[in-house]
Amino acid sequence: MNSGIDLQGSLIDTLKDFGLPPGVAKAIWLPLPMLLMIIGATVGVLVVVWLERKISAAAQQRIGPEFTGPLGVLQPVADGMKLVFKEDVVPARSDRWLFTLGPIVVVIPVFLSYLIVPFGQNLVITDLNVGIFLWIALSSIAPIGLLMSGYASNNKYSLLGGLRAAAQSISYEIPLAFSVLAIAMMSNSLSTIDIVEQQSGYGILGWNLWRQPVGFIIFWIAALAECERLPFDLPEAEEELVAGYQTEYAGMKFGLFYLGSYVNLVLSALIFAILYLGGWEFPIPLERLAGWLGVSETTPWLQIVTASLGIVMTLLKAYFLVFIAILLRWTVPRVRIDQLLNLGWKFLLPVSLANLLITAALKLAFPVAFGG
Amino acid sequence: MDFSISIANQLNAATILPEGIVIITLMVVIIGDLIFGRSSSRWLPYAAIAGLLASIIALYFQWNNPEPIAFLGAFNSDNLSIIFRGIVALSTAVTIPMSIRYVEQSGTSLAEFMAIMLTATLGGMFLSGANELVMVFISLEMLSISSYLMTGYMKRDPRSNEAALKYLLIGASSSAIFLYGVSLLYGLSGGETNLTTIAARITDASSSQSLGLAIALVFVIAGIAFKISAVPFHQWTPDVYEGSPTPVVAFLSVGSKAAGFALAIRLLVTAFALVTEEWHFIFTALAILSLVLGNVVALAQTSMKRMLAYSSIAQAGFVMIGLIAGTDAGYSSMIFYLLVYLFMNLGAFTCVILFSLRTGTDQISEYAGLYQKDPLVTLCLSICLLSLGGIPPLAGFFGKIYLFWAGWQAGIYGLVLLGLITTVVSIYYYIRVVKMMVVKEPHEMSDAVKNYPEIRWSLPGMRPLQVGLIVSVVVTSLAGILSNPLFTLANDSVVSTPILQSAVVTRELPQNNVKVSSTVAPSTQH
Amino acid sequence: MTLAEGVQIVSFGILAVMVLGSALGVVLLTNIVYSAFLLGGVFISIAGLYVLLNAEFVAAAQVLIYVGAVNVLILFAIMLVNKREDFSSIPRRWIRQGATGIVCFGLFALLGTMILITPWSLAPTSSAVIENSIVEIGKHFFSDFLLPFELASVLLLMAMVGAIILARRDIIPEVAIAKEREIVSTSLTLPERPREIASIGSSPTKEQ
Repeated sequence: MNSGIDLQGSLIDTLKDFGLPPGVAKAIWLPLPMLLMIIGATVGVLVVVWLERKISAAAQQRIGPEFTGPLGVLQPVADGMKLVFKEDVVPARSDRWLFTLGPIVVVIPVFLSYLIVPFGQNLVITDLNVGIFLWIALSSIAPIGLLMSGYASNNKYSLLGGLRAAAQSISYEIPLAFSVLAIAMMSNSLSTIDIVEQQSGYGILGWNLWRQPVGFIIFWIAALAECERLPFDLPEAEEELVAGYQTEYAGMKFGLFYLGSYVNLVLSALIFAILYLGGWEFPIPLERLAGWLGVSETTPWLQIVTASLGIVMTLLKAYFLVFIAILLRWTVPRVRIDQLLNLGWKFLLPVSLANLLITAALKLAFPVAFGG
Repeated sequence: MDFSISIANQLNAATILPEGIVIITLMVVIIGDLIFGRSSSRWLPYAAIAGLLASIIALYFQWNNPEPIAFLGAFNSDNLSIIFRGIVALSTAVTIPMSIRYVEQSGTSLAEFMAIMLTATLGGMFLSGANELVMVFISLEMLSISSYLMTGYMKRDPRSNEAALKYLLIGASSSAIFLYGVSLLYGLSGGETNLTTIAARITDASSSQSLGLAIALVFVIAGIAFKISAVPFHQWTPDVYEGSPTPVVAFLSVGSKAAGFALAIRLLVTAFALVTEEWHFIFTALAILSLVLGNVVALAQTSMKRMLAYSSIAQAGFVMIGLIAGTDAGYSSMIFYLLVYLFMNLGAFTCVILFSLRTGTDQISEYAGLYQKDPLVTLCLSICLLSLGGIPPLAGFFGKIYLFWAGWQAGIYGLVLLGLITTVVSIYYYIRVVKMMVVKEPHEMSDAVKNYPEIRWSLPGMRPLQVGLIVSVVVTSLAGILSNPLFTLANDSVVSTPILQSAVVTRELPQNNVKVSSTVAPSTQH
Repeated sequence: MTLAEGVQIVSFGILAVMVLGSALGVVLLTNIVYSAFLLGGVFISIAGLYVLLNAEFVAAAQVLIYVGAVNVLILFAIMLVNKREDFSSIPRRWIRQGATGIVCFGLFALLGTMILITPWSLAPTSSAVIENSIVEIGKHFFSDFLLPFELASVLLLMAMVGAIILARRDIIPEVAIAKEREIVSTSLTLPERPREIASIGSSPTKEQ
């Protein structure tokens, strides 16, 4: 496995050539990938919003947005502008501080989780040892923000929505963590890079999808529930709770919730692609392809192609999953709150536990296929 | 793979066989209840008792284990720990028979109750042998959390809820304080958790480290004193004893306390060997307070359970005399007294349970004239209470004599004299109950006794209660006269325990020095 | 001082202020909801301190368990029983508060002095840089901390059973009740008749 393109090393070397001390060069590098990731995530949201509207329209045999820009691609931008310029209303007798803090607490952890999303061997902000565990930990902060905004709104619907959201989030975190744990056990590591590398070498056949069929389904269900997507969007079920914890929000604070939920959806899809669909791997192993074509692995242009293909593959897989999520939204009816909790605690939890145990047993029995 | 094999070879896991048996019993109780439903309550208690007795037998075969250290130093199965584990397991084995009828009649489920009680036993047993700070804390929490749960088990009774809440809050804060003290130990020893290593690492109690060590000592003692309910940390005891189910109180007053004393001996003797003078001083203060307050306040109680609560505080004070003595005789007298105390206290509680099952009250005044209606309970309760008071020739007398003798030998005359005086006080309030039961004329009989139901031992769950009662009373009355085996057992366990032996030696050396040279000598002895 | 050291010192300062500030807020604020949210702040700041100590796994576990589970449950408890009750102001309350403050400050001063004057036997620099802390933690769990680690499972099992027992509604079948009644009517009454609950005001007198 070649290490692929190393942007950090190259940029720091270039800066050092300009005569800057290495410390300064590193300090200049540090904020760049973070900035890039934040911008990327936000732009990704615009794309998802547009996709959501277009695909929903297609599912319902409508046209969807079409006047703003070609095929209506600028519609999400227009939506965003509207939200930015809207009046910021804080309802009477609400708790102003918590009301403002709520959306922030919800959004920040989601963005932080992008720290560990890799787009290539070296195309990741930090390759932490705790890797995927950081995502699980950070996603558990969001319920605090939801409770905060639900409480601060001084509205019964909001409070109920916040409590529901928190309950749902804690319930589904456990099966989610168990299915991730099964993957980590097969990869002998929590680092996202290691998880992808463990799947590499055999193209599409090596992906965890085939080795973890149960974990794959559990993870998807739990991820949908964590993102509060339909069929699990109970916290904002409009028939029952108006809009749940978002009821009293307007303007940019609402915009933050909106942004957070879509960033979270993209994030879950990305993580899903990394855990089960081989991350940046091409369905046919690229090294072999290069070998057949007689190109050396260290050729610069091949490295660039590999890197860009990696980014494209990751995004393609993620957006495919987003597509499925949107389709699910219009095909599956919403569950009731008791059904939701029953599904989480009485079905997914035991099944994911059994899946974990079976994975451990298989790992002991067939160390070759299950990561020894 | 080689990592696991190399570890597995060093574990010496056979030492926790008795605890393993208790865990299996626990599983049998939970799963048996799950599979067979309500009907399983007929055989489950017996399975639990059998498991505990099997565990005691397994402990017997561990006696004089040549390799006591297990789990890479986390667990120490020397004779001291074996005897304390035996006391804890035995106290549960005696408590379960008396709880069957009680729990059934209160309409709660028996299997879960026994499961929690077995967990508490397990915590107590592991605590008696824990040789490592993490292990100490986990087993301590195991014991405490199960105790909170048992205390609040009768959730339809508001008093039980209140007791559980009080116990939980005070217990949690005492655990936190204990943990702080333990973490100081970890820091002072430079990142060690094993008690023996800690003792080896904190060798220079120079003035710079002494403050940290003293604070650690005070905090740790606060945690231990809560468990054994010594006086400034006793506030929870009366309310919890009054509110919680009586079998739970029986367990708390014996099993939980014994585990607390085991922890006290091990932790103080090994990790705090340097500050022996200090902890003896603190425990002397605790013992004086416990003896005085426990015995004096017990005089004023009108409820039998509250009286026994204060009496148990006082009894803890007596046991502390042995700890302060710090000699072989001191430690073995502690063990001997705890063994005897187990039977007499559990016997007394069995009688209280029986009385409250039949009349629904536990006021002392309601016991008036019980002799006419139920001679057996009267006799048993009298024997147990008199033994608790220390009337010869019952077991309690010999236990106390041994404790006082050990204390006198070690030169703590003041404390022994105080113990003697408070014993006299305690005899007064124990005799008061006996007099109430025996002497009253038929027309002075209380209402509860007047309506005393017909004695039926054939009711479900009564037979084991009867057996438990008879056994405790027989042991209480005979253990005094035939005390030699128990006495030898206690002595052997102390003499053959390395940590105590080294402690006894190091303690005697500084003392000699103190007499000869200045007071700086003890710290330089090591 | 290199860049990394500077960043570390500054972050330590920020985190310390956050820990102290939010911890004081938890204790001093009268609104219990604020206290609960600030408690989450304390936990997160402590996780930050763990990160500074290169204990990233512990930091993530701290966030997951304390913020994600414990604090959320505390908030649940508060919000589901959010009953405002006006306490009658106790006369001379400031004396009690002052006494508490003095005791707390004294304890703080004592512990602070102790920490400052004690020569902590630290290794000057951690000799072996631990490559992967998770692997090390795992090895410890399965070697010298094996027994407590396994024992914790029994503890958690029992805590779960106990929580369910306390939380569930007892549904006693009619037959059982009838049977109980029959027994009761023959010979027995309830084990202990419930008496009046001890109220908060009267408990000091009962103590002695």
